[in-house]
Amino acid sequence: MSTNSKGFSRRRFLSVSAVAFAAGPLGMPFVRTARAQVATFKAGVITSLSGENILGGNLTKRGYDLWAEAINAKGGVEVAGELFKVDMFYGDDQSNPATGADAAERLIVQNEVDVLFGPYTSGSTIAVQPICQKYQVPMISGSAESPNVWKAKPEFNFGIIPAVDTTAGKSLAVLAKLSNPMAKTIAVIGVNEPFSKETGEGFRDGAKEAGLEVVAYELVPASGDLTPVISKIAALNPDIVAVGGHEEPLINVVKTSKSLNFRPKALIMHYGVTDPAFAQALAADADGTCGVSVWLPSVPYKDDVFGTAREFAEMAQKKSGHEPDYTEAACAASGLVFGDAVKRLGKKPVLTPEDRVALKDAIAETDIQTFYGPIKFEKEGNHYHDNVQPVPVLIQIQGGKTVAVGPKEAAAADLTYPLPAWK
Amino acid sequence: MKPRWTGLLLLIAVIVVLALLPMLVNNFWLRIATGALMWAGLACSWNILGGYAGYINFGHSAFFGLGAYVTALLMGDKLAWPFFATLPAGIVVTALFAIIIGAPTLRLRGAYFAIATWAFAEVLIQFASVMDFTGGIGGIGLPPFLDERFFYFAMFGAAALTYLITWALFERSRFGLKVKALRDHEPAAEAMGINTSLVKLQTFVLSAVTASVFGAIFAYWVTFINPNSVFGGDITDQMVVMVLLGGLGSLWGPALGGVALFVVNRIIWMYWGDTAFYIAILGAAIVLVVLFLPNGIAGLFSRRGAKSGAVLDKAVGNLAGDGQGGPS
Amino acid sequence: MVPALDLFLQTLLNGLLIGGVIGTFTIGFQLAFGVLHVIDFAVGGWVVLGGYLGYYMAAGLGVDGFLAIPVAFVLFGAIGYLIGPILYNVRNSRTARPELMALALTFGLFTLLRGGMLTAWGFNTHSVPTALSGESLAVGPVTVPLIRVAAAVFAIAIAGGLFLFLYRTRYGLAIRATAENRQNAALMGVNIRRLSANVYGLYAGITAMAGVLMGAIFSVNPEVGLRYTLFAFFVAVLAGLGSVGGALVAALLLGVIEAFVATYVGSSYSLLAIFATLFLVLLVSPRGILRHGL
Repeated sequence: MSTNSKGFSRRRFLSVSAVAFAAGPLGMPFVRTARAQVATFKAGVITSLSGENILGGNLTKRGYDLWAEAINAKGGVEVAGELFKVDMFYGDDQSNPATGADAAERLIVQNEVDVLFGPYTSGSTIAVQPICQKYQVPMISGSAESPNVWKAKPEFNFGIIPAVDTTAGKSLAVLAKLSNPMAKTIAVIGVNEPFSKETGEGFRDGAKEAGLEVVAYELVPASGDLTPVISKIAALNPDIVAVGGHEEPLINVVKTSKSLNFRPKALIMHYGVTDPAFAQALAADADGTCGVSVWLPSVPYKDDVFGTAREFAEMAQKKSGHEPDYTEAACAASGLVFGDAVKRLGKKPVLTPEDRVALKDAIAETDIQTFYGPIKFEKEGNHYHDNVQPVPVLIQIQGGKTVAVGPKEAAAADLTYPLPAWK
Repeated sequence: MKPRWTGLLLLIAVIVVLALLPMLVNNFWLRIATGALMWAGLACSWNILGGYAGYINFGHSAFFGLGAYVTALLMGDKLAWPFFATLPAGIVVTALFAIIIGAPTLRLRGAYFAIATWAFAEVLIQFASVMDFTGGIGGIGLPPFLDERFFYFAMFGAAALTYLITWALFERSRFGLKVKALRDHEPAAEAMGINTSLVKLQTFVLSAVTASVFGAIFAYWVTFINPNSVFGGDITDQMVVMVLLGGLGSLWGPALGGVALFVVNRIIWMYWGDTAFYIAILGAAIVLVVLFLPNGIAGLFSRRGAKSGAVLDKAVGNLAGDGQGGPS
Repeated sequence: MVPALDLFLQTLLNGLLIGGVIGTFTIGFQLAFGVLHVIDFAVGGWVVLGGYLGYYMAAGLGVDGFLAIPVAFVLFGAIGYLIGPILYNVRNSRTARPELMALALTFGLFTLLRGGMLTAWGFNTHSVPTALSGESLAVGPVTVPLIRVAAAVFAIAIAGGLFLFLYRTRYGLAIRATAENRQNAALMGVNIRRLSANVYGLYAGITAMAGVLMGAIFSVNPEVGLRYTLFAFFVAVLAGLGSVGGALVAALLLGVIEAFVATYVGSSYSLLAIFATLFLVLLVSPRGILRHGL
């Protein structure tokens, strides 16, 4: 199915359900999809299209789709002077690692994809890695940010976004440096779910390096009420509050803080602040919130598929109605990594199993400039196969817009510090 | 005698097909078959307590998760036990938990038992999320073993054993009669000299232990577990719905319901995996089955379906727990 | 004032208000259970629907979120009234375990609602703006979040209103009679089927109203429903199923435990503590803390 047939037509519903039920559970295994006559590259996307991580899952999918559209509009991926279009296949991991593994197996075995684009969550990514290893299919992960993914030294997986243990702390140090009068104390909240907890730990460890005193480090259950923890932190009155979580708990942190009339001098949160839905849900109350981003439309990078970062942002805006965040950008850049590697490899579709191993080696040698920034994968250490090149930017929501406020060379506006009282 | 012969032939045919399946289908469908066998086994495991003893366990995932965690912890870097050595350990740990939890909770009736078991499963989720030795919320990885056939036959073996034990104990022995007696009228069963507390506890432990074996294989198969992926309430929800769809308290109902729901879910997911609409389709399918197939899929095939329903209809135990909610 | 005492008072207030918030969506659930004897998985679905109504009214019409509360009652009350008879038929069908089939029906309904909302409204998290959102009042050393006070007042008002309705009207008498003994009520001329539809409609309406408030206090997306279902079940069982007054007491108890554990032991232990409490209470008192009420 092509990327632009996401609409759900009634006819498709009827025909597919007829096939599904007529073929039946036993008949299905023997139905094989015929290869299209014109050779194309096949890419499989595993991500969360349902369950608790749907927002991020859909961001991820949008990013990967943007690349497929852009490259197909240019005629396809170039190999040895010929152009080959890209077909996208999707698997929902239902926000569940086991289903993610099923999806990977299906995309590889049934759809015979040449490359996988990785899940939104790190948990799914960890569960999918052994499947990639088994079938020797390379995977490019445009979203996974957990350091745990790379500690396992996955041979076939490559990450575009620097792991959060490298970015959260750095951004906090930037914030502390910009604060005037200089911030001294910090309270850290981590939502107790895989990625958010690691983000909280990143803030906590970064705080110590930045010379901030950690007055509280609280892990909160994902479905718990936030009033007790906010009250407790309000009583300690820290200069900075840092929160690791996804957009829903982050929105609740801001609402709860306001309803308890608690306003720290600075509030920094990750991840979800950079997604426009955050500012939309909170309206004026979102203003002043800081976040971490490894990419913004204002960065000075470009490539020949998307053009400049600004041009990429406009293309994404046209499609989804709002400005893209760094996850969407990194996912789109994942496609560029594939395009570059397969071009260097010089193998036309259909890729053989040996070609895919060679493709993995080619991806490992990636050293390119894209609209997203430089991409080059680590060859050893705790961030094996992760792209740690991008420098995190401290952003702040000002007047409903995400603007870069630090470090100085990237800043487009001044940091608002201390934050004004709630209106 | 004729129906029995056809039944036996059908059973042999199913076993032969299942044994030969790895040669007939590709790895993806083998993986789906592995999942289907696991769910058929888990549904049967839930049905042991829910269907035969009439106790609705909303926290059955607790035992699935215990099996998974014991295997994952023992196979980790520090201990590095071989997989098969972890199975008896998981069984012992789960049985101990089941006795400690079951003895007091089995005094509860209906919905109170259901919610108490759910609370227990939630306690385990929170516990595993907070503790360090369980890997916390980040979960634990297991050494990957990438032989799809091994896991297929492991699940096949576990499922076959579960059904064999269930058949022998609940369809062919005095023990089964005792359990059904206490389900249909607990005071009467007690008056007849049945030690109902003991029989209930034995049934509960059996139900828990079978679930833990599937959890152990699942952890090794998926190579990564975290608290929500093995203790999560949605795992229990699926078991309950599978049993109801298949036919409560029958031997083959859970197998039919488990396989049907899992495979239909996966087929819908394959074709509409790029939108969330398949969730709505799944919901509608469950509603339609409840409205039009109230005795489950098994009820379609057996003439006894309707009759045994009428007998059960008079059962005292209902979710209200006070004996007034049931129709008469 | 001593800071330690300030925090203690604030924690107590937080706990009571968490209880009030949980109470809003548990009261209707108890009523429906008392009469229909159905454990309704869809309770979280009604909460989320109410939240979305509040969001769309505020965003589309530019009105205050509070205006959605009466609309939610009428709209979802009507839908509940239409669903009620179906649920009643399943609950009273001649199948093996009708109460379980009814549970499966509500599970299917909940899944259908969740999938439908994801498809139709997407996955973004929204918030319901109201006049009281984010407003607070300083009472001595304690900060009182007004929107939560509104929720607590709502819970008490609904519980009080139901009490008057059940104990001071003829129709309330019929509902209580049905909850007490269905056969006898039917013999006395109560149309049980019709009454069940009305009660289910009343429950759906009340729960959707609570959903508007949940959207204002927290936020709403199609995936948050299960959380409300979980808490409604737990509070209902802790109270004693069918007990409307008990639901408030149990909600307050859980709220206070959550707040104190989170403040003085550690936030990560708060849910562990309340689930463990529920489990232990059931062992000591097998039918909840307050059996009678409706």
